[in-house]
Order: sequence, then structure tokens, then C-alpha cells
Amino acid sequence: MKLFSLIENEVIKMIAKKRLMFVLAILIVLISVFAYGQNQTLIRTKAQLSQRLGITATNDWRKLAGQQLIDMKNRLDSPYMDQKSQASTRVRMEQLQYNLDNNINPLEQSAAKFTTKFMEQSIFLFLPLLIIMLAADMVSGESSSGTIKLLLVRNVPRWKILLSKYLTLIILEVMVVIFAFVLSALISGFFFGFGGWLAPVATGFKVLAGKLDSSSVLNVPQWQYSLMVYSLAFFVSFVVGSISLMISILVKSTAASIGIIMSTLVAGNFISYFLSDWKITRYMFMVNLRLTDYLSGSFQPIEGMNMIFSITVLLGWAIAAVVISFVYFTKQDILA
Amino acid sequence: MIKKSMWYSILTIASVGFIVLAMGFYQAIMVTTAVNPQPPAKAPLTPVPVGSTKLSSKTANSFQLLILGDSIAKGTGDEKGQGFSSYLPESFKNDTSKEILVNNAGIDGLESLGLLEQLQTKRLDKTISDADFILVSIGGNDVKSILSLNDLAKEDQFKLRQDSYLANLKQTLKVLRTANPNAIVIFLGLYNPYEIVSNVENTRLLNTWNYNTQQLVEEDGKGIFIPTHDLLKFNIGRYIAKDGLHPNSAGYQALSNRISKSIETIVTGL
Repeated sequence: MKLFSLIENEVIKMIAKKRLMFVLAILIVLISVFAYGQNQTLIRTKAQLSQRLGITATNDWRKLAGQQLIDMKNRLDSPYMDQKSQASTRVRMEQLQYNLDNNINPLEQSAAKFTTKFMEQSIFLFLPLLIIMLAADMVSGESSSGTIKLLLVRNVPRWKILLSKYLTLIILEVMVVIFAFVLSALISGFFFGFGGWLAPVATGFKVLAGKLDSSSVLNVPQWQYSLMVYSLAFFVSFVVGSISLMISILVKSTAASIGIIMSTLVAGNFISYFLSDWKITRYMFMVNLRLTDYLSGSFQPIEGMNMIFSITVLLGWAIAAVVISFVYFTKQDILA
Repeated sequence: MIKKSMWYSILTIASVGFIVLAMGFYQAIMVTTAVNPQPPAKAPLTPVPVGSTKLSSKTANSFQLLILGDSIAKGTGDEKGQGFSSYLPESFKNDTSKEILVNNAGIDGLESLGLLEQLQTKRLDKTISDADFILVSIGGNDVKSILSLNDLAKEDQFKLRQDSYLANLKQTLKVLRTANPNAIVIFLGLYNPYEIVSNVENTRLLNTWNYNTQQLVEEDGKGIFIPTHDLLKFNIGRYIAKDGLHPNSAGYQALSNRISKSIETIVTGL
């Protein structure tokens, strides 16, 4: 049997099991809640701001932005200005200038901003959980229902079966990431308007000697920034998917495999407290999932941890998981 | 057959998606690791506001004012982009016929440690020793971050910050005096830009801070502490800029008037 039709078979199986539909439904509900919440925050922020500044509306943001631009220009002129902060001042100025030129209140949300933010918030827990839903019973589900025997008695090598499952998983991961993008762009569009894809966003932060270095910061358009965020999200789902698949092969029970990988992920959240003091923790995959933080520069800089480090660690885990999966799956005895 | 077409559309979407995501992934790695991702083009700069930064030399017919410290020294918030650099000389005009030369070395966001480091680089030593008046505004950024803490943590943090701030300030004044034993040091007190939403506790801490600063500054016979809290307390709407933190043009002018009144006789006598 050809690999292609094996994959087709697996994908249709996943659709028939309605797993993808569940993921879709969860995404719709959560994005709606999140978008509504953001909207409320926005309203409150505006109210607080106008109270603090003693003005009735935040519509006169142009004055404030113009003011800030003048200040920053003066700052750039100062011979006493720290060289390192010049890049970030310039980037900030470009953003403000864009806001002024296009008459966009920097306070306002947009679908583009929201879509990016949603994935930045989901990448370390919510997205992995969705992937686990798909990956965790691909093999163990067949073990517990006994269909694995039917699958394996056919005249197909075992590695081919696993490979087809693996490629199916990758297809589904791409679908989930695309769904997440399209849904959050659509749903948030109803709250905040569909625009904002060309606004400049600052990125390009680095960690030098344990400090956040912003000397090479630059602006990229929002759509490109979103693309990078969602690509990193796909990479994360690929890694989490590989690991879940391995666990699903090893423990043979869907409930147990979901439990194991979920508790590992949650544990990652509190293990990250020890990151700076306890070196070995940084080699765990759970603490390296927040790849998007390297883009936005919103992380606690830790010596030795950067984008390349995290990606290498994650890739290492994924490769190890794939190797173990294939070795174990081709060698194991199928009882049950 | 529905399943067949669904499968093909899924396959197409997934393949295209995969390629796009792979490109994005490559970009993400490049942008965070590239050694120098094309330094942004130098933004066009507007002409420097009057007398703000030029290093001027001293003559018999002039006196020099050096402005040191944070964004308030720099003049941030003034919608006319002027700040003390131009309002202070203006208000001195009535008291003296001499020319007033201003050097402004204010840096936005500077904390007391930063000011001390700036002075220790010795780059400013010549300017300091030439100055007749030195206006210092520092401390606001030291204390700013503790405002959001809860009352218990605030008390502790405040003590820590204040101790290190006072130590830095002491050092700073020493450096100033070593370079120039005669200049009048004018020190601006702190105000509370969040007066409207603030509680009594914050006011108490602010007063403690200002009191201790005043004690330190006026240990020196030629130092004067200029309070700002009283001037701004009921005038937040009038004197604070749109950013809700810095004084606006009117605020800087009001403060300049107060400073010039305090040292009027000295200026006249020069």
C-alpha cells in the first residue's frame, strides 16, 4: 500500500473521529471570549486614562503623540544620549509617525494586533493542549480499541504505518495553526475592525551578557510579524506533537498519555521560576516553548538562552521523540 | 466522494501552509539572530531647541547654567520643546544684563545611579567647573516603579530605594563640589503627577523622600532645595503634560519663575 493512501486514510479517520471539529469549536469559543475580554480591557484603559489625565476623551491622542515625537527627537539629538538606546528610540519614533500619518490611535486594538497577541498567549499552553488532543490517541487509541491489530496484519511495513501517522499529524498541525489564525482574524475583526496589517511592530531584540540588547531593533510590518509568530507556533506544535505521539506509543492508553504530557506542560510553567538559578531546567522542552517572546523582547533575559538555543533544545527533543517512537513501534509486541 | 475532495483540499491547504510557515520560521530566526539586520536609516533630525545642548565657553560678560538629571531637566513634556533650558534664562533676564549660557545634559529616564555614573566619566568636568549655577533634577525615576506595589511591599522597597538614592546623591554632590566648589546647586524636589488618584500613604512617602533630600542638599552652604509638590498639587490639570507625568510648557515656566525668585539676589550680584 502506498504511503500517500495511508496518509489519506489517516486524515479521513481523524475527520471521522470529529477531533478536528472539537479543536475548531474550542478555538471559536476561546477566541470569542478572549476578544470580548480584550474589548472590555480597552474600554477600561480608556476610561482610566482619561480620568488620570483629566480629559474627557482620548481622541486628542495626536497631541500626545506629537509631543512624544518631539521629546524623542530631542533625545536623539542629545550628545549625552546612550548609544544603545538610540535604535529603540528611532523604532518608537517610526511607529508614532506611522500612527500619526495613518490616523491610527495607538491605544486602539486591531484584528492584526489581536491575532498576533492571541498566539503569543497561546503558544506555551493552549496551543500545545490542542495538539495533544489530536496526537495523544493516534496510536494509543488504536491500541485500546484493538484496531491496531487490524492495521498491523496488513501487508505494510510498520515504519510505513507510523510514518503515515506522523505525516498526518503534521498536516493536522498546519491546519490547527491556520484555523487559529483565520478564526482570530475573523472574530476579532468584528470587535476591532479588520485592519492593522501594515502597522510597524518592533522586533530584533537580542540578549547580550545577560541583558536585553535593543541596539539592533527594527520595525517590520504587522503581517510579517504575525507570520513569524504563527510559524513559531507551528514549530512548537510540531515538537509537542512529536513528543505526544511518542508518549502515546509508549503508554498505549489515551487517558494516561494525555495526563502525562499535560502535567509535563503545566509543570513547565512553574519550573521556569528556577530557570536562572538551576541550569539544567533550561534543557527541558516545556520552558523553551515561549519562542515568540524572543521576537517581542518581552522576556526576562537569561544568560545563554536565546532563540537559537531554544529552537535547538526543542528540535533535539523532537528528534529524540521521533527516533524512540520508530524504534519502539517497529520492535514492540502487540498483545491486547 | 465528499471525503475525497475534502482530503485533497486539506492536503493543498496544508502543503501551502507548510511552505509559508517554513518561510516565516526562517525569518523569525534571522530577525532574532542576525548580527546586524540593516541598521535603520537615520531619522531626519529637527534643529536643536535653543541653547539646549551646545557646549558654550565662558566669558566675563556671561554666566553659565548647567542642567543635570532626568527627563524633567531635559525638558520632556514641554509641547514647545523648550524646558528649563530656555525658560530659566528668560526669567533671569530681569535680574541681570549678562548673557546666560546654558548646557543641558539631562537624559530621559535617568536614575540617581545613572547621574553619578555620568559624572564619574569626567566628560562633564570642564562644564561643571565653568558653571555658576547647577540645576539638578533626579530621583523621580528611582521612586516611580514602587508606586504600583501594595502598601506592605511599598514600605520596604521605599526604604531600600531611598537609601541607595541618598547614597548616590551624596556621592554626586561630592563629585560636583570637587569639580566646582563655588557654584550654586539648585535641586528640584519631587511632585506627585498622580495626585488625583493617589492616597495619603503615597503623599507621606513623597514628603519623607523630599525631606531627606532637602536635608542632604542643604548640608552644603551653596545648595538650595526647590519644592515642586506644593506648586503642582492643585494644578495637575494646568501644569502637567498630556503624558500625565512631566510638566508642560506652563509647568516649566511656573517652576522657572519659582527658581529665579529664589536665587534672584545671587543672580543680580553676579
